[in-house]
Amino acid sequence: MAIASAARDRRLSTGIGQRSEALAGYAFIAVPMLLFLVLNIGSILYALFISVFQWNIRSGAGAFIGIQNYQNVFKDPIFIRAIQNSLYYAVVWVPLTMAVGLFLAVLVNQKLRGRTFFRAAFYFPAIASSAAVTVLWIFLAAPDGLFNGVRGALGLNPIFSLLGFPPNQNWIGDSHTALNSVILLNAWTTSGTFMLFYLASLQTISGEVYEAAAIDGAGTWQMFWRITFPLLKPGHYFVATVAVIGALQLFDQARIAGGTTGDPANALMSVVLYLYNLAFYKFDFDRAAAVGLILFAIILTLTLIQRRLFGSAPSW
Amino acid sequence: MTGSSGSGATAQGATAALPAGGALDADAPVVRHVGDTGAHWRRRLAYAVMIVYALLMFVPFAWSLITSFKTQADSVNLSVIPNPVTTEGWNYLFERLDPSLLRLFANSFGIALTVTISNLVLASLAGYAFARLRFPGREILFLVVLLTLMIPDQLRLVPVYLLLNVFGLTRGPLEYLGVVLVMAVMGTNVFLMRQYFLSIPRDIEEAARIDGASFFTTFWRVMLPLATPALSAVAILQFQGTWNAFFWPLVLLTERQYFTVPIALTFFRTEFQTNWPPLMAMVVLATIPILVLYIFFQRYFVEGIAASGVKG
Repeated sequence: MAIASAARDRRLSTGIGQRSEALAGYAFIAVPMLLFLVLNIGSILYALFISVFQWNIRSGAGAFIGIQNYQNVFKDPIFIRAIQNSLYYAVVWVPLTMAVGLFLAVLVNQKLRGRTFFRAAFYFPAIASSAAVTVLWIFLAAPDGLFNGVRGALGLNPIFSLLGFPPNQNWIGDSHTALNSVILLNAWTTSGTFMLFYLASLQTISGEVYEAAAIDGAGTWQMFWRITFPLLKPGHYFVATVAVIGALQLFDQARIAGGTTGDPANALMSVVLYLYNLAFYKFDFDRAAAVGLILFAIILTLTLIQRRLFGSAPSW
Repeated sequence: MTGSSGSGATAQGATAALPAGGALDADAPVVRHVGDTGAHWRRRLAYAVMIVYALLMFVPFAWSLITSFKTQADSVNLSVIPNPVTTEGWNYLFERLDPSLLRLFANSFGIALTVTISNLVLASLAGYAFARLRFPGREILFLVVLLTLMIPDQLRLVPVYLLLNVFGLTRGPLEYLGVVLVMAVMGTNVFLMRQYFLSIPRDIEEAARIDGASFFTTFWRVMLPLATPALSAVAILQFQGTWNAFFWPLVLLTERQYFTVPIALTFFRTEFQTNWPPLMAMVVLATIPILVLYIFFQRYFVEGIAASGVKG
């Protein structure tokens, strides 16, 4: 060990060793950095550039129009609808999926036989592609699908009709229930992922805290709310941040279930679907670039607010 | 930057846990009061809840498998056993798809495999350089890698499309290359590899360097074999992610013959309307390759996932 570090010092002291190490370093990162700089950093700058011009798919940049694209986007009622839908989705989906994920994590964190199996089972829907599970759910939630059939067979229809849903409710095809159906679908696929995040966070809590609480006579319920929940703060922060970013990027399910216009009646029109529609069905690239930057600004703002809310960055 | 620092912290936890295995298996502290009769019932309740929830996870997939063997008329019935049992839906998939099922799977496999290999090579090279080699600008460049984790794909949609268009990568078979380029190296993978290399003791490579090995030989012969657990996690998660990828393939693969399985599924959904048996057979087929991976490499999924962020 001592010899090795002496050798390292000797090598460091020679300029040639340093230079060849630096050259090797640049050679190792050359291709990945080129891709990152062009396709990521470069693309943001390019998007900024495109968004302030009148852009033509054939001839490129036309007249400079400043922030006009941004202004026009906000005048479009469908864009406002898309923002509302995306925010509604985030406000409902994020807490719901976090709560289910945490609940599952606490369940499988117990010393129970078969918990490895249950952990794998709860995560299972997350491995499938969004396209496969969305098509599957469209089938299950159809008027004559499994969901309506099962609730009828279980005699739950009186409750549903009390809430105003007929026995053959078309859950994803009805504009009143479409977005909520997609929220449930994504809670179903992603709760297992959040369970894994929370499980990692739960493992960082030392058992001694619980022993001390047990000596003081705290019950299971009390222990969860007084100890586990507050100590999971870094976990909450991480999961909430990832969840909000994911929620605002809602696209796959909306596109597959609602087509390019977020049918029925724009109920599934999300901000990203709006952007995609502008770019590839209206060929309005400059406005689409502006929408991308607006989305980025919203995500960045919400991330910073969350950071404020949760205090410092997680330590685990 | 908060998002990336958050996922960074988890990536570190996940990779550090990989060689030991079973990082998530540590027991919750068992605290029992003397003569606690409630614990018994709580345990039963926990099992009941877990079984019901596990069923909720499996039943939809089981239902797609059952439906794939039904006739179209029977597919709206609640019966668990198809009446009659038919392979009509499957025949439809194998005989009448445009493009053919074989072509779709070849497209998906080709793209997923290329992207996975490219990520393994590029992310381990960059990860090693950021972890061990000293060169001016290293910290700034690594910050750039972290920054890419914060940029939503949708923001890049228009500029990346226009850029690929300039190089002719949005037409003909070069569309494959466009998709692969966009996913060729992921910031999360670079991060994961860097964290793993940082956890390997320095002495090992110092010895190799003293023996006169070049930087590349040290990396290739000494360090890479030691990083097998991290490489496995990157390979499995990247293959799954690319196999399931929706956004970039939808945008960049514009001609039917280049479609991947998820994109084809989206189009068939509109074309087949309510012809559920072949659609459900396709759902089953699209899921099987990943299911096989999951069964064999469950550990890597479960422990590597914390580093990979969340899928939309």
